[in-house]
Amino acid sequence: MTDIMKDIIAAVIDGEPGPVTTAVSAALEAGEDPESILNDGLTAGMTAVGEMLDQGEIFIPDVLWAAEAMQEGLAVLLPHLAHGVSRSAGTVVIGTVQGDVHDIGKNLVGLMLSGAGFEVRDLGHDVAPEAFVDSVAHNGAGLLGMSAMLTTTMPAMTRTLELLRARGMREKVHVLVGGAPVTQGYADKIGADGWAIDATRAVVVAKELA
Amino acid sequence: MRDRTPFEPVIQLRHLSDDTKQRIFDAALQVLADVGASVSHPEGVELLVRSGCTLDDSGLLRVPPSAVERALSTVPSSFALYDRSGSQAMTLGGNNVYFGTGSDLMWQYDVETGEHRPSGLDDIARVARVCDGLPNIDFVMSGAYPTDLGPQGVYLATFLTMMRNTTKPLVLVAENEVDLGAIIDTAADLRGGAERLREAPYLLAYVEPVSPLLHPRESIAKLLLCADAGVPVAYVPAPLAGATSPISSGGHVVQGMAECLLGLVVHQLRAPGAPFMFGVNQGSLDMVSGQPSYTAIESFMNYLTIVEMAKWLRLPNWGISGCTDSQAIDAQLGLEVAELTLLSMLLGSNLNHDVGFMGFGLTGSLEEIVITDEFVSMNKKLLSGVPAEDLDLAVEAIAGVGPKGHYLGHPHTRAHLRKGPGQWRPGLLNRDNRDRWVEAGSVDLREKARRKALAILQTDPPAPLDPGLLQRADARMNTLRRETV
Repeated sequence: MTDIMKDIIAAVIDGEPGPVTTAVSAALEAGEDPESILNDGLTAGMTAVGEMLDQGEIFIPDVLWAAEAMQEGLAVLLPHLAHGVSRSAGTVVIGTVQGDVHDIGKNLVGLMLSGAGFEVRDLGHDVAPEAFVDSVAHNGAGLLGMSAMLTTTMPAMTRTLELLRARGMREKVHVLVGGAPVTQGYADKIGADGWAIDATRAVVVAKELA
Repeated sequence: MRDRTPFEPVIQLRHLSDDTKQRIFDAALQVLADVGASVSHPEGVELLVRSGCTLDDSGLLRVPPSAVERALSTVPSSFALYDRSGSQAMTLGGNNVYFGTGSDLMWQYDVETGEHRPSGLDDIARVARVCDGLPNIDFVMSGAYPTDLGPQGVYLATFLTMMRNTTKPLVLVAENEVDLGAIIDTAADLRGGAERLREAPYLLAYVEPVSPLLHPRESIAKLLLCADAGVPVAYVPAPLAGATSPISSGGHVVQGMAECLLGLVVHQLRAPGAPFMFGVNQGSLDMVSGQPSYTAIESFMNYLTIVEMAKWLRLPNWGISGCTDSQAIDAQLGLEVAELTLLSMLLGSNLNHDVGFMGFGLTGSLEEIVITDEFVSMNKKLLSGVPAEDLDLAVEAIAGVGPKGHYLGHPHTRAHLRKGPGQWRPGLLNRDNRDRWVEAGSVDLREKARRKALAILQTDPPAPLDPGLLQRADARMNTLRRETV
């Protein structure tokens, strides 16, 4: 790996605004391949950040800062990338289900998904089944993530799944569910495609389904 | 290793009024003056009698309050211990809190096999190595008695093994003034001379009188040797409440103080200003089974009073932590270790020994040492408190986020974690959710502690000692064995 790529990775990990764009510009000036800057620099930096979080070496806010810094670098890089290179891992619609206003876990998942390169459409909390389904249709999302914090609000997930089926959209979108009381068993029972116990695992599942 | 920031709790526990402490002290003085004690060391007795103590026909030596007051006026209120390299590592006194192991355990829970088996010299090396690798263990006692050695020179062999396997300051037990002399000579050799050892003491000697009110020849001889060499000494009786001292908490402490303070008087007469540590062990006897206990709740009550009296007298104190009566590495161990260690921290108790002790000081466990290290780490954060001037009330952050927002990526959160107080990270305690915990092998605290101890044992040992130093120590060992055979 070149020193220029190491600089980009280090700047992404550090997450301060500024240094990533400087490092990406320097790489472009040095004639590095833009695809390589994306894959061996920016994306490699975010992968390292994910691993460091998993090892308990950094904190959640560090991941969010790294993701923002990476986005800044990406903005500099985009005009140089060949047409058709996808900058996104896919679009995800997320929200906390109807009747439930707990959203810190859902926010965490959304931020982690952004960090992993997904386009995240966060509908907030107390989201009606219609709102979820409309947003999936409108954004052409391949993934829908629903969160419930209460056993009393979990059934709202089922209503969204039913509405997707009624509109003939169930086969076009993968549905992820999560939240403290939600288990793999419950996800299976309601016919969801994926479940994760926490935000970092949600990213892994989302990548598998995307 | 340097003692740049000794730990001192901001949150502190005190329960006795000044009036009560004065009454306890006066009662101890009364015991010394009226009851007296049996002192079996002619030179020590002569020193005491020359200074105003009286010896009656039955051999009881009585100490007037003026002698105790004089000793209290010359004894330092704090002293330092230095590590193997000569750097200052501990400042004992005030409310500074330090932790270390105890000595002479006859049995070990083998960290590799889990077997309960007799202790050997190798266990002393293992205890020292593990303590050397744990940041919240400040000093080392042997942790084991080498039952695989013959009786001669056991404590010199113990000292040499500890010195090879840790650079932290040592707390030592010795049989008598002869082997303690050989140990002190070796420590002086390490330092490059007796005067240098006096300036930067590498070890503290632990010496006990025998309750009730007996001061054996060897105890006084070791005490005087330490006074002469300027080696810090803790003179700590181990009265058992209900058996060798009164069962009441007050009576236990009064007798224990009378025993300790007699040691202080003779020590300060011999060498005014020499470093001395106050203490009374807190044990009590189970009056149904006859089993002594370190961690009965009555023992804890005695302990609170003992440490408070040390503070009141402005003397560095001998304390206890990380210890259990349990015979298994189990939840009882966890809760007794936690309660006793937290009490020591809240009290600002200075030199807290017996980390790793089980079953009333007969069995040792490396897991228990590792668990105590984690507990101390966590509670250093708690008891450091939040200094009022640093209170970060975060009103700007609250205003910036507002309703419905979150703080996960807020600059305030990141600054707090990166540049501010951060967040204490567990090394052993589980914070994983069920799935992650199961995936990682469903490992419980005992097993995690075992693995950590084994991992430390795999690391490089401290730098080897000068071969000349070891040769000269061997020569002392040979002399010791010849003289005592």
